[in-house]
Amino acid sequence: MNVEITDVTRRFGRNQAVAGVSLQAGPGVFGLLGPNGAGKTTLLRMMATVIPPTTGRLRLLDRDPGAYRPRREVRRRLGYLPQNLGYYPGFTVAEFVEYFALLKEMPAGRVPGAVATAIERVDLGGTAKAKLRTLSGGMLRRVGIAQAIVNEPDLLLLDEPTAGLDPEQRVRFRALLRELGQRATVVVSTHLVEDVGAACSQVALMDQGKVVFDGTPGELTAQGTEQGTGDAPLERGYTAVLAAARA
Amino acid sequence: MTAASAPAAPWSAVLGSGRLLRLELRHNAMLWLLPVAFALFWYNGYREIMALPPMWNLRAMTLQNRLLFDLMIPATGAAAWMGSREGRRSITDLVAGTARPRWSRQLATWAATTAWAEIGCLACVAVVYLITARHASWGGPLWWPAVVSVAGVPALTAIGFAAGAWFPGRFVTPLVTVVVFFGLAYGTQAASGDHSYWQISPLTAGAFDIGAAPGVASFYPYLPDLSIAQVMFTAGLTVAILGALGIPVARMRWLAAAVTAAGLAAAGTAVALAGTGRLDPHGMIAIPALHDAASDQPVRYTPVCGRTPIPVCVHPAFATFLPAVTAAVGPELTEFAGLPGAPARISQVAVVYRQDPGNGITVSGGGPGAAAFVLPDEVPGRLGTTGAEFAAQLDEGLGLQLASDVILGGSNRAAASAPSQAELAVIAGSVRFPPSVEARDLAPVFGSLLPQPGSPAAQAARRFAALTPAARHAWLAGHLAALRAGRVSLAQLP
Repeated sequence: MNVEITDVTRRFGRNQAVAGVSLQAGPGVFGLLGPNGAGKTTLLRMMATVIPPTTGRLRLLDRDPGAYRPRREVRRRLGYLPQNLGYYPGFTVAEFVEYFALLKEMPAGRVPGAVATAIERVDLGGTAKAKLRTLSGGMLRRVGIAQAIVNEPDLLLLDEPTAGLDPEQRVRFRALLRELGQRATVVVSTHLVEDVGAACSQVALMDQGKVVFDGTPGELTAQGTEQGTGDAPLERGYTAVLAAARA
Repeated sequence: MTAASAPAAPWSAVLGSGRLLRLELRHNAMLWLLPVAFALFWYNGYREIMALPPMWNLRAMTLQNRLLFDLMIPATGAAAWMGSREGRRSITDLVAGTARPRWSRQLATWAATTAWAEIGCLACVAVVYLITARHASWGGPLWWPAVVSVAGVPALTAIGFAAGAWFPGRFVTPLVTVVVFFGLAYGTQAASGDHSYWQISPLTAGAFDIGAAPGVASFYPYLPDLSIAQVMFTAGLTVAILGALGIPVARMRWLAAAVTAAGLAAAGTAVALAGTGRLDPHGMIAIPALHDAASDQPVRYTPVCGRTPIPVCVHPAFATFLPAVTAAVGPELTEFAGLPGAPARISQVAVVYRQDPGNGITVSGGGPGAAAFVLPDEVPGRLGTTGAEFAAQLDEGLGLQLASDVILGGSNRAAASAPSQAELAVIAGSVRFPPSVEARDLAPVFGSLLPQPGSPAAQAARRFAALTPAARHAWLAGHLAALRAGRVSLAQLP
């Protein structure tokens, strides 16, 4: 398993953002659903080794990220797109992706090729030399995805990756997710249940810091056949599980 | 361990760091602030340095005093801006999940900022030194003042960068710039005397109360003692701050703490060394622990002499002042040449500096006779001194010294015998004082050599001064012995 989370909690002062989460994920696309404030982003930040868990056990790529050397090894094989993507406006697309390739300690000789490939994969080949300050929000999101995949990560963590993408780009992005999921573990946190239905092989639903559902998209859909609300079957499953968890 | 998780080969890591540095160099705020740095230096430093006579000691020491101060605002500001970049751009989460340690990432950004600031610093040094090399009459570049400036730049950028990294925000840049500005400015003003710890300020070139003076480091070599302490201080400060940046990095905490401690120890030692400084007679700060006795040997030189009735010879570094010297005392040289007691040649000698209790410094020099003289430190262009003021100083010093020595008979004269009124009149009539000096200003100093204003002797002096130097010479050739013997009355003066 590339991701093994056992009874992990995370506190920020008095607020418990993640309360005893246990999850496992191997290669494939793993969807992380939940309402605002459910703890998805905090869980992703812990998986990205940005913050440590308060309690519990976290193993990534068969390593313990709590220790310095394994954490560094994990980070070399990690791709992360945070919810709020900060960027340096003066950098070009290629420079920004190259910057992160270098921070991920990719072998220097492989960097130029990897940068070009990553940019092509998010359909930004024509704007590789454009300054980031000149790009639209959707294009910036794709730059963020490019920096996340530039090192061909074994563990890819994407927080709201499709926010700001137009429908055509979202369709292409789902195809990219499926392709990446062939060899890597891709964890996608999203509000958009149609993204999960189209691309994910496994899905977890979080609410109030806890995982209230863990299964396949088909199993989530089945939860909503009788009492859920929503336009799509997966939405009905989503609302039904949430309603049951809050009852 | 997979290939991706394995550390890159050493050469690849170096290449990767090089690429990172190249990216940082391309996108560094200091690059855009270089024109500001050059403009500040031109306005505050360059114009004043170029107004000074083309002497290496004057220009190099003034350069040290100004350059770092002019670079301070752009260098510290740019470093603070770059240090706060990750926080301001909300990119901390993104970079925190990368393999390269934060310390390494920060050092790359700091190094790029420092590299541009150093390029600016070296460009300013190069311009001043190249121009000085074209005009200086003697000697070569003094490198220590430039080394102190160059070593001070990383300290400025380290302070700014650390402030930006620790307190990321838009206001940290102006705030840290203002704090460092006043810190540096106060540091240059706080030094008092030759044993002050504040001499460690990299803006302080030589003895604080003298500053860059022509008499310093011309007859004797430039003492690097204080410069070495200053370089040690700025290097230690830089290392300590950069080390402190790495303390939060888990694996490197102890290494960073050791680096910080070593830097602080170096900086502290340098401050302590500066406190042991003493003003040497040649106007420089000697620090016993760093002092090389070989530096106390005078510099060999061939004097430059003028073609005047009494030749005047100066140190070659002062060659540009020789015409002014001979013009200022030319009439006296003509008047006294060949008279009994007149020197065959007048040579410039080194100024002697002595630290007084408190903050004062006594400047003296010259010999007991008129054969040796010192040039005043206030040469044209320094501290706003004009050519006329320089000439007046020469006449008051060298002219009066020559006249009194010849008229009164120098060391042959009995010590107890006071000059006669006729002798005073001839001395005053031979030396061309500005009216204000004749009337008042010099009286307390040279009261024993000048007649009272308005007295019969002063009127006789005015009469004697109206003669040409040749006429005065002719009269003195026939009457000097009688004048010294007191057998000439005021009425007998021409």
